Amino acid sequence: MIADQLIAAAITMTTPILLAAMGGLVNRQAGIVNIGLEGKMLVGAFTAVVVSSITDGWLPAVLCAALAGSLVGLLFSLVITRANANMIVAGLGLNVLIAGVLGFVLNWYFDASGTLRLPDVTLLPHVLPSTVSSIPVVGRTLENLEPLTIFAWLSVAALPFLLANTRLGLWIRVSGNAPQVARAMGLPGKNVQDFSTAFAGFFAGLGGAHLALASIGLFNEGLTAGRGFIALAAFYFGRDKPVATAMVCLLFGFLDATQIRMQTAGLPPKLIGTIPYLLVLIALCIVGWRASRKESPS
Amino acid sequence: MNNSTTSAPGRSGNASIRLGAVDICKNYGPVAANRNVSLGIAPGGIHAIVGENGAGKSTLMRIFQGIEQPDCGHIIIDDTPIRLSGPKQALNLGIGMVHQEFMLAPDLTLLENLVLGNEPEAHSLGVLSTIDWSQAKRAGHALARQTGVRVDWKRHAGGAPVHMQQFVEIMRLLRFGARILILDEPTAVLAPPQVDDLFNLLRNLSANGTTIVFISHKMNEVLALADTVSVLRQGQVTFEAKVCDVDVHTIASHIVGGHSDKTVKPHEPAAIKAHSTGTICNVRNLCVRAKEMSHPLHDVSFSINKGEILGLAGVSGNGQDELVECLVGLRMPHAGTVTLDREDITHATNAQRRRLGLGYVSADRAKEGLAASASVLFNVIAGSHRDRPIKKGLFLNPKVMRTSAIERLTKLAVKYGRLNDVAQSLSGGNQQRLVFARETASEPTLLIVSQPTRGVDLNGIAVIHEFLKTFCDNGGSVLLVSEELDELLSLSNRIIVMADGRIVGETTAGSTDVTEIGQMMVMQGAHNG
Repeated sequence: MIADQLIAAAITMTTPILLAAMGGLVNRQAGIVNIGLEGKMLVGAFTAVVVSSITDGWLPAVLCAALAGSLVGLLFSLVITRANANMIVAGLGLNVLIAGVLGFVLNWYFDASGTLRLPDVTLLPHVLPSTVSSIPVVGRTLENLEPLTIFAWLSVAALPFLLANTRLGLWIRVSGNAPQVARAMGLPGKNVQDFSTAFAGFFAGLGGAHLALASIGLFNEGLTAGRGFIALAAFYFGRDKPVATAMVCLLFGFLDATQIRMQTAGLPPKLIGTIPYLLVLIALCIVGWRASRKESPS
Repeated sequence: MNNSTTSAPGRSGNASIRLGAVDICKNYGPVAANRNVSLGIAPGGIHAIVGENGAGKSTLMRIFQGIEQPDCGHIIIDDTPIRLSGPKQALNLGIGMVHQEFMLAPDLTLLENLVLGNEPEAHSLGVLSTIDWSQAKRAGHALARQTGVRVDWKRHAGGAPVHMQQFVEIMRLLRFGARILILDEPTAVLAPPQVDDLFNLLRNLSANGTTIVFISHKMNEVLALADTVSVLRQGQVTFEAKVCDVDVHTIASHIVGGHSDKTVKPHEPAAIKAHSTGTICNVRNLCVRAKEMSHPLHDVSFSINKGEILGLAGVSGNGQDELVECLVGLRMPHAGTVTLDREDITHATNAQRRRLGLGYVSADRAKEGLAASASVLFNVIAGSHRDRPIKKGLFLNPKVMRTSAIERLTKLAVKYGRLNDVAQSLSGGNQQRLVFARETASEPTLLIVSQPTRGVDLNGIAVIHEFLKTFCDNGGSVLLVSEELDELLSLSNRIIVMADGRIVGETTAGSTDVTEIGQMMVMQGAHNG
């Protein structure tokens, strides 16, 4: 019974990180390290709640969240590729800016402080009939399955093929690996980078929509709680490879899920809550150590 | 394979001039880089363009590629005058350029690099269409057959041997439809056996009708490969000939022109003086393992005597840079010893070596020799900042700093505007003199000098050569690493030759000539590569 719940929670927790990480890894393959994923997730979550409340439908909400994310992503990209802003500083700035603007909008327009509750927010639908819950171990997971989780895992399966075999995929990889080569071969390197950042925004927006609409149906200023950065760590650790990155996301999701269960078991919740972030630090150390080992002579 | 669609005017097999220039001038401010340059290269031939650094070769190539526009005159493709708007148009007309730095993405496979920018589509969905890899492979195999090279297409470009990267870059240009290949010093990064492979490839291409232009400053390569040769000197074509009609000396004398008495004069035995005896620096069995992008050293041993200039010759990239780095403390050898003045400095830091009397003039002036964006003052004082009276308490003494800077700069006749001007505002020759001024200020006993006259004008070369001679006459020792054999011959007492990370020969300057050293540089290593 506990395993049941744990797996279901882990899968649900994984989805937003996974979506953001898939966008971020494409972005990084094109040569842009997207620190602003967190902010874009927040925009996505906010948009999803508002649109869901207005239209009373989950699909328009999810689409608008993705579009909002990609629009922010595109603007962010133009700042980096055209105005030559430093991508790290610009990304940090974006996160602070978005948090500030959303906080202001909550106060000023919705007269809410921190948390936005709107009437008639439609949550993501469960795609399978509830009878699947009788299946042992994975029953609850299947019952909870919603469109965004399915989409996230489909993208994990599709991205390796698309990156390896489409013209755009090749251009994305060359723009990140050797921008001067892209330029010399007459490829639109900057446009490719802009596309990849908008793509990352699209996926981060979806991730935000999932956070807001999977179960809680409201928006909170601290809703993303650093998941954009966890996604960043995931694709660093997964070396920008979709499948490897997805496995790391799954691990983080699993930790997130156990962490909540341990809180109910009476352990100090704040302390347990730091575990995923601690793991991110350890993971980054391991990546760096592995890279330096690779460089030294064998 | 979809070739370029832009049709070249009068593209025909029977053009009399495939690529030519008519009265091309190009000025950069007061400097005339090209003065009335006229050339005509016949279809299918291999044409060498030789000349000193700064003779105007690169400018001409940039004009052929459409990167620069000539101030007057025009270029000719297939007997038709053309104005090129940029590299893309040049490529569409069939002019492909192989730069010294290869334009391959290291993390992509060679096949991916081959199709880059002109991917065969499996179905037409624009940028979203998948790439037809089987068609790409067929194109790759066809090009490999055409050029007579075996390529492992699945390999990542970054992990492929350097000559393989070069070949793939050439193939990519051919796939784009290049009929004229321009190669900028293509052998600079290659080991001798790889040079042979490249030459075979170029001969194959030439036999199949591709016109080849290569820039070089190595005489033996010109003789081995080219059908015709043009010599550029101070922006002008000073000599043109069929290679079968000329010898090395004729070409060489046209390259150096009026200064031939200065640079290619045979060594005067009188200049070789037996200075004070004894060795200053001893290198024993030095070994360095290969790291990424570096050449290993195998069991290198030699010594430098007091008061002598020891020349080190070799084709660039055969371990000279690594050896120099070991001597100055920028790279640690994994076996062997280096002593300076009887002290073991094998594992000493660069600062410790400098205190023992080492000076270092780096080959990479822009990155290692100078802080290019710092002032002339700081550049010439750097390294002396801990010495009194320049250092005064916790601070620097600006007055003393300025006077000693001026003193040092005057000694080498460095021309500069103000002390606060940035170092990169000086000309190449003055930058190099500035480096010499700094490195000799501490009165070193051993000066390690790498490519001291690279990118330096003739007047600057003369000053630097004169300085090195005086330095040794006063009892200092010099290790002179240079690719300019004439420079080595006219300055060195002894010359050691390096190939493939080994010392392959030693000779005294009085008893040898360019050909003998050139042969040692090239022939050695051919059997163990």
